[in-house]
Amino acid sequence: MVGPLDRDGDTAPFLDGTARGEFLLRRCPQGHWSEPAASTCTACGSVELSWAASTGDARLVSWAVTHGRPDGDTPPPRHVLAVVELDEGPWWWTSLVAADPEALSPGIPLRVEFARAAEQYEAVPVFRPV
Amino acid sequence: MSGPRDVAAGRRPVIAGLGLTDVGKVYGRSAQQFAADAVRLAVADAGLQMSDVDGLLTSSGVTRGVAMSLQRDLGLTDLALLSEMQAFGATAGAMVQMAALAVQSGTASVVACVFADDPLKEGKTAGSAYGTRRAPSGWGGLMGASGYAGPNPLYALAARRHMQTYGTTTEQLGAVAVAQRDWAVLNPLAQLRTPMTLADHAGSRWVVDPFRKLDCCLVSNGGAAVLVTTAERAADLARPPVHVHGWGQAHPGRLLKHSEDFGLVTGAVASGAKAFAMAGLTVQDVDVAELYDCYTYTVVVSLEDYGFCAKGEGGPFAASGALGPEGTLKLNTGGGQLSSYYLWGMTPLTEAVIQARGEAGERQADAHDIVLVSGNGGILDHHSTLILSPHPVSGGAA
Repeated sequence: MVGPLDRDGDTAPFLDGTARGEFLLRRCPQGHWSEPAASTCTACGSVELSWAASTGDARLVSWAVTHGRPDGDTPPPRHVLAVVELDEGPWWWTSLVAADPEALSPGIPLRVEFARAAEQYEAVPVFRPV
Repeated sequence: MSGPRDVAAGRRPVIAGLGLTDVGKVYGRSAQQFAADAVRLAVADAGLQMSDVDGLLTSSGVTRGVAMSLQRDLGLTDLALLSEMQAFGATAGAMVQMAALAVQSGTASVVACVFADDPLKEGKTAGSAYGTRRAPSGWGGLMGASGYAGPNPLYALAARRHMQTYGTTTEQLGAVAVAQRDWAVLNPLAQLRTPMTLADHAGSRWVVDPFRKLDCCLVSNGGAAVLVTTAERAADLARPPVHVHGWGQAHPGRLLKHSEDFGLVTGAVASGAKAFAMAGLTVQDVDVAELYDCYTYTVVVSLEDYGFCAKGEGGPFAASGALGPEGTLKLNTGGGQLSSYYLWGMTPLTEAVIQARGEAGERQADAHDIVLVSGNGGILDHHSTLILSPHPVSGGAA
């Protein structure tokens, strides 16, 4: 469901978090939250960002459904991609699991979980409707 | 902001030459060869010699295949201006803006602006050029591992948000595709000239819902170039000059961040306002609009952002019959990236020059005094605007 992922210097702290089941965000000394890839606080411009765990709760902002090419009589596989808003405010581009594309609407609650393409790869966050 | 009106009439920027290679499934030539051909065609079109060119701005597509070494390929020596430029789909407009500033300041006198790309490889699908997953590490790798490949899903997420917020429908997106195909039928340069219907759109396969295949642009090989010089220099050249009346850019910089504008409002709002202000015009003055149309949805949101209709009304506007050759707004008159050819920002720019000159044949708009050109790059994160006209800029400095 998720693809293979290795770590690099930029993503290592975030992936340490996913490995222990946490979705980390960046936080500045004034307490503003920014997305994981931020190096400058979105709200105040501070560059003194630390890592802090989010609750992992989120809401759906938007979604798109990929359709694989049909293979004979087998219906093409569908996969739901989504933009989600963490309860702390930052947005994240991700996939949904166990989501019926027909039952989605903006604002529905979601919760993070983590998946690996295989044991040797990093844990990738995905979100499930609650 | 200093525009054409702030300099003497003879120094004001014009587009004096246009070069367009064969486009589409054209194999056996590299992007750099297409670029060289396009510049040669533009120089010949203007009635100039290659040695008259003293500025060169290059732009690459997805294969990143056009380098500054194009100077050597063209035998150009002692250039006064040379640079590679990159603002994705906004680059063509940005190149003309840079060239306009260069000629009106005297930095250079004849600047060639060229784009070329060669994503299509014989025997491979078009999607394989754009759908490549990123490296398996870094933040880009994390997006790839999360299921993202290429721009289609990111634009689909933007489109969905527009649809959910304003009620834009698949049928309304289809109306854009049908209207542009109707134009392409009239355009001998277009790759797709078979008439299509809303039912064809509705029956085309999903690429990524809410986009069907006929919501997505073509993929093309080819190159295009324009020559920018001053009104004074252009006066005795071969072709009628196309005057650059206004320009603007906007780069919101909110991609992959919390952005309430995502999918709803683009950089076209700010970019368009700057260009109209410089030109002393409003959207009501526009006779022909060539809007960047990587997807049908991009047209809908751009129509709103430029003020052709109210925010949220782009879908109903498209479905009202306002578009297409019989419509009230002459929009994407060559068929656009959806049906003619996909050369990033050069698709709207080349058609704009053809229309402004009045040389569009069967698809020529009767009124073409003011032509709007948009460029949209990244995921709605880079925008450029040009306002072109067959008439000189009036008033201003002596």
